[in-house]
Order: sequence, then structure tokens, then C-alpha cells
Amino acid sequence: MFTRLKSSTKSSNTDVIRYDYISRIEDAELEERSDYSFKEILIPLSETMFYFTEDEIKEADYDARPVIVLMRSCDIHAVKRLDQMYTGNGPANDWFYERLRDRVKFALIGCGKACPNSFCVDMGSNKTDEYVFSIDMADGKVYCDVRDDELMAAFESAGGTKEDVSPRYVTEAEFRVERPEEVPVELFKDPMWDEYTRRCVNCGRCNFVCPTCTCFTIQDIFYTDNGRVGERRRVNASCMVDGYTDVAGGLVMRKKNGERMRFKVLHKVYDFRKRFGYDMCVGCGRCDTVCPEYISFANCINKLNARVKEVTENV
Amino acid sequence: MNKTSLDTNLKKLKKNAFRVSKVRGETASRVRCPGGEIDVDSLQRVVDIARKYGKGMVNITNRQGFEIPGIDLADVEEVNKALQLIIENRGVNQEEYNGGYPASGTRNVVACPGKQLCPFANFDTKKFAQEIDKAIFPNDHHVKIAFTGCSNDCAHTRLNDFGIIGMSEPQYNKDRCVGCEQCVKYCKKRSVGALKVVNGKIERDANKCVGCALCVNYCPTRAWTRSKEEYFRVVLLGRTGKKNPRMAEDFMRWADHDTVKKVICNVYAYLDEYLDKAAVESKEHIGYIVDRTGFEEFLKYIMKDVTPNPKCEIQGRIYWGGKRYDQGNELRQSMFRFSEREE
Amino acid sequence: MCNCGKNEYTPVPSKLQDIIKHTAQEWTFRFTYVGDVKPGQFFQISIPKVGECPISVSGIGPDYVDLTLRAVGKVTDYLFENFKAGDSLFLRGPYGNGFDVHEFEGGELIIVVGGTAVSPVRGVVQYLCETESAKDVHMIAGFKDPGEIMFKADLKDWAEKIDLTLTVDGAPEGYEGKVGLVTKYIPDIPIRDISRCKAIVVGPPPMIRFSMIELVKRGLSEDNVWISDSRRMSCGIGKCGHCRINDKYVCIDGPVFKFSEHKTLID
Repeated sequence: MFTRLKSSTKSSNTDVIRYDYISRIEDAELEERSDYSFKEILIPLSETMFYFTEDEIKEADYDARPVIVLMRSCDIHAVKRLDQMYTGNGPANDWFYERLRDRVKFALIGCGKACPNSFCVDMGSNKTDEYVFSIDMADGKVYCDVRDDELMAAFESAGGTKEDVSPRYVTEAEFRVERPEEVPVELFKDPMWDEYTRRCVNCGRCNFVCPTCTCFTIQDIFYTDNGRVGERRRVNASCMVDGYTDVAGGLVMRKKNGERMRFKVLHKVYDFRKRFGYDMCVGCGRCDTVCPEYISFANCINKLNARVKEVTENV
Repeated sequence: MNKTSLDTNLKKLKKNAFRVSKVRGETASRVRCPGGEIDVDSLQRVVDIARKYGKGMVNITNRQGFEIPGIDLADVEEVNKALQLIIENRGVNQEEYNGGYPASGTRNVVACPGKQLCPFANFDTKKFAQEIDKAIFPNDHHVKIAFTGCSNDCAHTRLNDFGIIGMSEPQYNKDRCVGCEQCVKYCKKRSVGALKVVNGKIERDANKCVGCALCVNYCPTRAWTRSKEEYFRVVLLGRTGKKNPRMAEDFMRWADHDTVKKVICNVYAYLDEYLDKAAVESKEHIGYIVDRTGFEEFLKYIMKDVTPNPKCEIQGRIYWGGKRYDQGNELRQSMFRFSEREE
Repeated sequence: MCNCGKNEYTPVPSKLQDIIKHTAQEWTFRFTYVGDVKPGQFFQISIPKVGECPISVSGIGPDYVDLTLRAVGKVTDYLFENFKAGDSLFLRGPYGNGFDVHEFEGGELIIVVGGTAVSPVRGVVQYLCETESAKDVHMIAGFKDPGEIMFKADLKDWAEKIDLTLTVDGAPEGYEGKVGLVTKYIPDIPIRDISRCKAIVVGPPPMIRFSMIELVKRGLSEDNVWISDSRRMSCGIGKCGHCRINDKYVCIDGPVFKFSEHKTLID
């Protein structure tokens, strides 16, 4: 089972909640939202693709054991976005993603309260029925809606009582957001993005915690003690961090952090929708919570929407 | 009307943490705030005392305490009673109820905001400062101690007899590292440049690393995290003054909490033994005593019954710098007077 | 194990048949390849332990593809320094849409290219020459200086079949060819019916921008212009995200775009 747990610290003695394997349910953190998302099980921060010896290319092994991931509704919606990018964009599927994806089942943690900075309700990700079982704790009892027949036997043998239950979900998130339906091209160069050139420090935390960010960079290395052997791996990439668009020869496409912010925000609430018909962002609010400069993604969507209205009404 | 005599025992007054004022008949009450921390009730009491017995003004001292000037010498007893709430709230050791502070030699223990507030701090400076204050106060020996959360040294510990600088041993999880190199950049720009990229992952020069944990703060994926253990750099015998102001020099690094505490507490036995009995006001900077006894003897005392943690490294011999004004205070050869300078 | 089908990331061995050196910096590597491929598509040249780089197809043969590259990065530098004809290397691809050569058969076509950008259009020109539909092709090829001129043999051949203007930005005294930016020659192209004329413009972004100004002045429709773009890429198959512009992925929706569409894409 792969779930959120309290872990290592950034500021002294400050817990971070992130996903990892657990062997006892007591270790799971079922209340607070994880700082980093579940996506690390499907797209690890750093993943070896191939090992190279002198005359052989070998696909790296992976842990093929079946996994159940405990997650909230917004994150289950995020899985659809990951699938879209890795198995539904372009003619070829991502082999490394598929082999990790095949062994994973998702279980839902019901939401008793809205997470900090969340706007899942307006993004339509506050409810789901895509889970093998759900888990809700209330009045000292655990309520599970089991949808997977294989697992039903296990639940029955655990000796619970049968009742009709449905997982909790929130109907009011912390924030309301309004997304623009169309974004005129001229807004790509709008001064509204300059604010972020001044405020953002392009650390990329918003991308690394995002359950829907999928970008990666491939790195090749040879082991320093023996140049004949090495590996190819991929690491999560961030469109906010320096180097994302650099090409050999020195060309950089987006130098200003405001441009990077625009690129990211429009992808999450506009460009992705134009391509696939639904928005990428699920409104979990992690990017707001993690930003060291207190930049609010949700507020940026609202600002964008206001600007779109201004620009289109003045035409 | 009979005027009250000003026959006051100034030695006793000073030991009781009152300062002798240049205005005859007046004094100033010094309020001790270990770790530079004060609760609002105590702060209100400082205000009340200043309003009732002082002149409605409060000085903030260099060592994070308060000083209430303009108090009539005749009101000392009343002021001591009023200080009782502050002394209790601040957990400062006392000898006589309503008797004010029992000593002033060992100065207020200073601390930067520490990890309760500052994201960069490696330990709870205030808590440790208060723990040390409990262990060493009251004492008449002139000892200055300061705690600071990281090697930025915002608390200026290097001007103290004992400076305690928080350290963390950064833990690296290469599986969480995406090679964004922000740790390398910030370590180079804002710290000592102990990190480099090898094969897309990070290598830390453990000897060069000062344990500031800046890498941890700037890592966007938590590939870097702080060590569970809190470590300390101990710097010794810095001082200001007329004769030989100087920065404290490194004595220990990667010391643990117990080692630090024992070493500090041990200094008092050394002072009992070697303080110059003829010193003016029984007060001299420890460094001048060490000049007389030799560092070996000092080391013997402060390391008595101390078993440092295995990781702790200790400097066997220390040399201090600073200007020796007693040996000459002229500026260097390039000195000139502005009015005489050639065009 | 999972049934995930083909692993598109797996590098495929390919024997290096030949290396053609145009300039000190620009060489064509002829890789063994049998399969469908279109001009304007690209391959990932894959060197284990060193890295991969996307390179557009500059020539297509029965059992090979030509990949022309400049030594400007880690992978290309390594290629220049370490390989010779007969060595075995690795490829992935072909990727991307490429040019639909049939689009340009028969009608009038303007081609404006600069520098290494000759690569993606070389296959188009070759096709048109071979299928005898080159008579109304007007090509302006610009290079920085005479020493930088690439595909000299091809240019010589093409000059007999199409209307070719070869120009250099600057040249030493005594140079007999044409001098000046490609834009200088656009007004002189003889066009019979501009409304049905098509164009391919490939080169550095400023070259494309100024060429378009001149072409639009001539009355050319932006819907009839194709360009080829390039971006940083890791995967080449629409996954890694680096090459995305708005809702388009250069690696799968491009690298060939209609200009009218491409101009709405903003990095």
C-alpha cells in the first residue's frame, strides 16, 4: 500500500507529508493532504530507463508487485490526466509509465473537509466513483464502499458489518475560481504576467507537487569509476525552472518567470482543454500551499478570467 | 523635611542588576530575558515599572534585555517587588522572593529567533538558551553566551565567550533528486560552495560543508532533508573591548547538545580557580585569563567529565586575532588626513 | 511483466554508412534505415551514456536516411569526435509529421531557407526534381558566408531543374556569387498566380519573420505557407512536454506547421 505519511523535514522539525509504502495502516496520514502527490508511484522523480554495458542495452527492472494507493478524489481525477499524457497523446504510448500503471489500483479517502487552498469543487474533481474501495473514518468507525469484487472477500473476512455507505465529499472548497472559456492571443503578452516576473523565484515547487504535471527530462550518464558502463534515466522536469527550454546553441524560449507562469497557468486551465476537451488542473491547491513566495495559482486563474473579460468586453 | 541619605551600597546594587546612573540618586533596572524572549504580561510589567518608577522610557539592551532608567535609588526595593512577576514568568533562578535578580555577572543568554520562527534555523535557540540560563544563573562571573540557529550568525555569537551555532547534517535522497541544481547554486551564492553535480546527481564535500542546511531549504523535491540529530559549532572567547577586540574562534564542530551544555557549565570552575582576585570589579574577559594560564589548562577544565559525541571534532589549539590596541593603535601605512591628501 | 507492447524509447541499432563533411561544423551522417519516412520528420540520434538529440531528415535513400547536424552540444560534439563510417550507432524514429510532398506537386512553390534549414526541405526538392514537377519551384537559399554553404553538389544539380537563388549574407571581395539576405530576393521571384502559389520557409526565427513580411507583400496567403519548427525535446513522442507551445506539441503535431496556425502559437 502506497500512501501519505509524515516524513523528513525541511525547516527544522517540520513534517512533510508525502507518499511512500506502508506496512501498517497506523503509519498512514488520512487527515491532512499530502504536500507531494501520489504521482511519484507512476512517474518517479528519478527513474532509470536503461542500463548500458559495453555491448548491451537493458531495460531497467522495476517493482512489479501490485499496489493500492490511497488518495483523495482530486488525485483520482489527476490519474486521468497522467493517463492522457502518457497513453493518449501522440501515436506511441509510454512503455515505462504503462508498466508502472498496470500494477496500481486506487482507493479513495473520503473528504470530510476541504483542504487548504483547494478549489476542487469548481474544477469538478471533488467527487469520483473510480476506486476499488473508499475509506472514511467517523465516530470511531471505518466506513468502506467496496467496488472491487476481488477485494470484497478480504473485507468480508475482516468481519465488518454490511451497510450501504458512500464516501464523503466536499461541496464547498476553500476557494472559488472562474475559468475563462477562451483566452485571446493578445493576453499571452499581457502585462498581468509581469507581476510574476517580479514575484516568482522559479524554484519549480508548484510543478513538483502538482498531481497533473508530467514533464520529464532524459539524462544519460556513465559511471565515473568505469566509463564503459552507464545508464539512461528520466527525472521530473519543471517548466518554471531554468533550462526547461534551452537548446544546444544557447536559445532559450521563456526567460522571464512571468512568461513561465503564463505557460504553466494556461496549460492547466486552457491549452490542455483545447487539446483534450477538459481542464488539466484538478484544484487540489498544493501549488498554492507550497509556494515559498505566496503566489496563489487559484487567484491567478481569477485574475486571468477578469483580464479576459476586460479585454473581450472592450473590443 | 528630612532628606533621605543616599548611603547606598553600589556593589550590592550592581549585583542586584541595577546600573549606576550618571545622574546622582538615580539607577536603572535591568530586566533579564533569556533567549531574548518575553511574554506580554512581563512586557506590560516593564511598562508599568517604567511609568511608575522611571521616566516613561525603556532601553532595549544589546543583549536582548530591557533597562528601565530614571529610577530613584529609594525605590529599588519596590521595583524588585514589581520585578517578581517577570522573574517568575521568564523562569529565571532567584535566591530571595521579591529580592529582584540575585546576580548580574553572567550576562543574559542571547538567542536569534531560532526554529520557532526562522525557516533557516537548525535548532530551537531560545529553548537551549533558557536551558543554559537555568543551569548557570545566578553567577557573578562575567560570562557571555549566545545561541544562533545557523552559520549566518544573526545573533553575533562570535563576539561572545561561548558562541553556539546550529548545524544540520544534510541528508541526500538521490531517488528524489531531479538534478535542478538549485542547491548547488544557492550553496555557492549564499554559503560555502560545498556541492557539485556528478552524473546529474549531487555530491557534498563533507569537510567543506558548514551544516547550514541551505540546500534543504532550497530543494524543491525534498531530496535534501535535515538530519534528525541537531549539531552545533562551538566558538570560543570572542570579545569587544578597549585592549584586544576579536572574533571567537572555532573550538568544536558537529558537537551534540550534551557536549555543549557540559562545556559551558565547566567554565565556572575554571573562573573560580584563575580569576585575578585583584581584577577591577572582579571582572575580566575569560580570554585574558586564558592568556595567563595557557589554553591547555583552560581545555582541561572545560572538558572535565565531558565525553563528546563520536562525530564531534575538537580544535586542540586555538589562535585568536583582532587588533592589539595595547601594543599600538596607529592606522596602517596608508593612513592619510583627508585635508592633506594630494590631488 | 506487463503487456505494454513496443518500448518506443528503446534505441535501435543503425550502421553509419557514410559521413559527408560540408563545413568544419556541419556534417551529414548517413544512417542505415529501412522504413517509411518523410522529409521534415526527425530522428532521435541516441548515444548510450551520452544522450539523445533530435535531428531532421535531410535525405532519404532506399536503405538509409541522412541526418545533417551542427556540432553545438554534448551529443553532437561526441558524434563528430568519435564516429566514422562503418561504426554502429542507435536511432529512434522517425517522429513528427513531415512535409506532405504531394501538396507541392504541379503548382508554383517558393522555398526560402537559411543555413542548416536546407535539411528538412532537401527531401522535398529532391522529390519534386525526381517527379518532374520542379519547373515552377523558386528557391532562395541563404548562408552566412561562402564557407558555410552546404549541400553544394545538390545545389548545383537543382540549379538546372529549378529557379535557384543562392546567396550569402556577406562575402570577401572577389566573390562572384550573389550577396545579401534572402529577403532581398523575394520581390524578384517571378510568380504567375500568387493566390495559388505555395511556400516553404525554414530557418532561424528572425529569417522566417522577415521573409513572411516580404511574401505577404507579394500577396501570398499565410494559409499557403509551411514552416518547420524546432524546440528542446527529450522524448520525441509527445510525453516529456518540453516542446509544447500552447496546445501543440512540436514533436507530434509538427515540426511542420502551416504558418497561419504557427503564428498563433506563443512560447
